[in-house]
Amino acid sequence: MRRTKKLVFMALLTALELVIWVIEGQIPAPVPVPGVKLGLASVITLTAMAVLGRREAGCILLARILLGALFAGSFSAVLFSLAGGVLSWLVMGALLGLFPEKLLWVVSVFGAIGHNAGQLLAAVAVTRTPSLLWYGPALLAAAIITGTFTGLGATYLVRALRVYADGKTERRE
Amino acid sequence: MMKGKTLFWIVLFALLAAGGIGLSLLRGGGTRAVISVDGQVYRTVDLLAVAVPYELTVETELGRNTLLVSQGSIQVLEADCPGQDCVRQGAITDGAIPIVCLPHKLVIQIEEP
Repeated sequence: MRRTKKLVFMALLTALELVIWVIEGQIPAPVPVPGVKLGLASVITLTAMAVLGRREAGCILLARILLGALFAGSFSAVLFSLAGGVLSWLVMGALLGLFPEKLLWVVSVFGAIGHNAGQLLAAVAVTRTPSLLWYGPALLAAAIITGTFTGLGATYLVRALRVYADGKTERRE
Repeated sequence: MMKGKTLFWIVLFALLAAGGIGLSLLRGGGTRAVISVDGQVYRTVDLLAVAVPYELTVETELGRNTLLVSQGSIQVLEADCPGQDCVRQGAITDGAIPIVCLPHKLVIQIEEP
């Protein structure tokens, strides 16, 4: 993909992810459980990773977290976004090449588990309450459910976006 | 081939999710609410012994949370934080899910007595 085209594409994905993140934050969570939400914004991160690459997805994620803090957050919220986001990015980046595109949702589930683990560890560190770790199994179950849905979303988005990606990225079947 | 792999992951994740839910339900009992701030136990309340619901204000240099303690349940009524996540969460009645107010480092968990 040409540099300019890639830059525009990345900017578009960043804007998309930011809007999705802000809107999802405005909707009350369907389950009144701390730290649990669908995480629709991660659809874009995973899609960017599959279509553009790990580094590009990382840039989009970081830009979304920092811009998101400007729109609807505080400093501690950035810390939590980073803890979840970076861990999820690392996990998905490590696993992406190991799974065929059809199993992208598996990568997404592991990413969601990484995200929730990162946030739980950050919560333990901030509150200095290790007994919060008992909450881990529930967050694991939540990550599996939300990760499956966001992963399926990413699968469809990746298929649709391949058209624009110039065939520079390899197709994994 | 592909089908088998897909099935494998579906089964694995279903088992893991069921295990996670099961584990947290196992911890679901309990009647003793432990309120801690910054890792230190602030107060412990036996929720079964609450005859008349009362308000409890937890005030530290980090902020203020007003709790409503009732028989068998506890909730945050008011908090002077921007997020209000702990208020929106409503009452908890068991140990499956804790109430966490991150900016005030406040954690409320229900445990077995």
